[in-house]
Amino acid sequence: MAARRGTDEMRERVVLGEFGVRNVHTTDFPGNYPGYDDAWDQQRFEEEFRVDVVGEEDGVLEFDMVGIDAAIANAFRRILLAEVPTMAVEKVFVYNNTSIVQDEILAHRLGLIPIRADPRLFEYRNQGDEEGTEIDTLQFQLKIKCSRNPQAAKESSDPNELYFNHKVYSKHMTWVPLGNQTDLFPDADFRPVHDDILIALLRPGQEIDVLMHCVKGIGKDHAKFSPVATASYRLLPDITLLQPIEDEAAETLQKCFSPGVIEIQNIKGKKVARVANARLDTFSREVFRHEGLKNLVRLARVRNHYIFSVESTGILPPDVLVSEAIKILMGKCQRFLNELDSVPME
Amino acid sequence: MVMKNPDVEFCGYCITHPSESKINFRIQTRGSLPAVEPFRKGLNDLMGVCQHVLSTFEKSMKEYRAQREEEMQ
Repeated sequence: MAARRGTDEMRERVVLGEFGVRNVHTTDFPGNYPGYDDAWDQQRFEEEFRVDVVGEEDGVLEFDMVGIDAAIANAFRRILLAEVPTMAVEKVFVYNNTSIVQDEILAHRLGLIPIRADPRLFEYRNQGDEEGTEIDTLQFQLKIKCSRNPQAAKESSDPNELYFNHKVYSKHMTWVPLGNQTDLFPDADFRPVHDDILIALLRPGQEIDVLMHCVKGIGKDHAKFSPVATASYRLLPDITLLQPIEDEAAETLQKCFSPGVIEIQNIKGKKVARVANARLDTFSREVFRHEGLKNLVRLARVRNHYIFSVESTGILPPDVLVSEAIKILMGKCQRFLNELDSVPME
Repeated sequence: MVMKNPDVEFCGYCITHPSESKINFRIQTRGSLPAVEPFRKGLNDLMGVCQHVLSTFEKSMKEYRAQREEEMQ
């Protein structure tokens, strides 16, 4: 019985010891554990798998995926970061730039601005195609000139009063439809996601006149194409008290963990500690610094419970991004299956 | 996914050189099946997993949004 419990712990928990982490790798493969049937079973997977959405606000989506292997969860995370396509400025045609910002720095800054354009409506540009067609390119223009304000007070030194257009924001970028894009996208409104991104500063007489081409790309090519501010996951913490902890020790224990994790209850006049919400903990391992407490607590993580946090840059809502990432993984599997079928095997 | 197949005796991969996008993937079976079969089965199983994850995720999002609508009203 104890042996079975031990192997259950080895299979299901990643244990954080004082000087290292144990049971890190997935070991539940067929043949490793006698008495367990670990062969892949789609039905068992479907019964145990679940997704719980915890919260969604301001472009941040937090959800739990329970019952999935680390490799697949990591694959979703990596695809979200590097392989979900977006539109971003790629080519900048500089007609006039007399500002202090150098051409290449200006082009670099323009490339990093997120553009509100659904990448699923566009195609990838063909290799070697310099001009760009209406199905794969979005054209933007930024044309702005700074001038002196004749009505400004004589002694004022506030640039907002003295000059017109001295700050170049992303709201000054305007969409220039190519070819038949006005018919293809009649009510579309292509513009940067945020209007208040400061691109450059100007003084009277300086002007910027550039034409930008946006193309579809993936984060693997350049980080400007990544659709997520970041996408990360952590495993669900699992804190077990091996013995009842009371009074002063309980108070110290509560301070060792993040607020809200350990709650102190008053049972028959004594203060007893209880794990209230292990999910909030960030595992600073402070408890290992206290000699009296370190053997009374087991810090572990549940191996197949992933708490994902996906924050979008605003181009697409985060749940759409997760769906796209899953579809991209399916597309890759399909491509290999097609290759297997088409290439003759000897 | 391929490791979860009881017929597979050995399965591993290595990247030949980091500058090239090539992966050496090796599958060895216990002598019963041709090695392409576990590979094919693994890919099909992975497609099944992704499909199920996608449908469960979209269902959960819908339920969450519906629940939030109710709370707002």
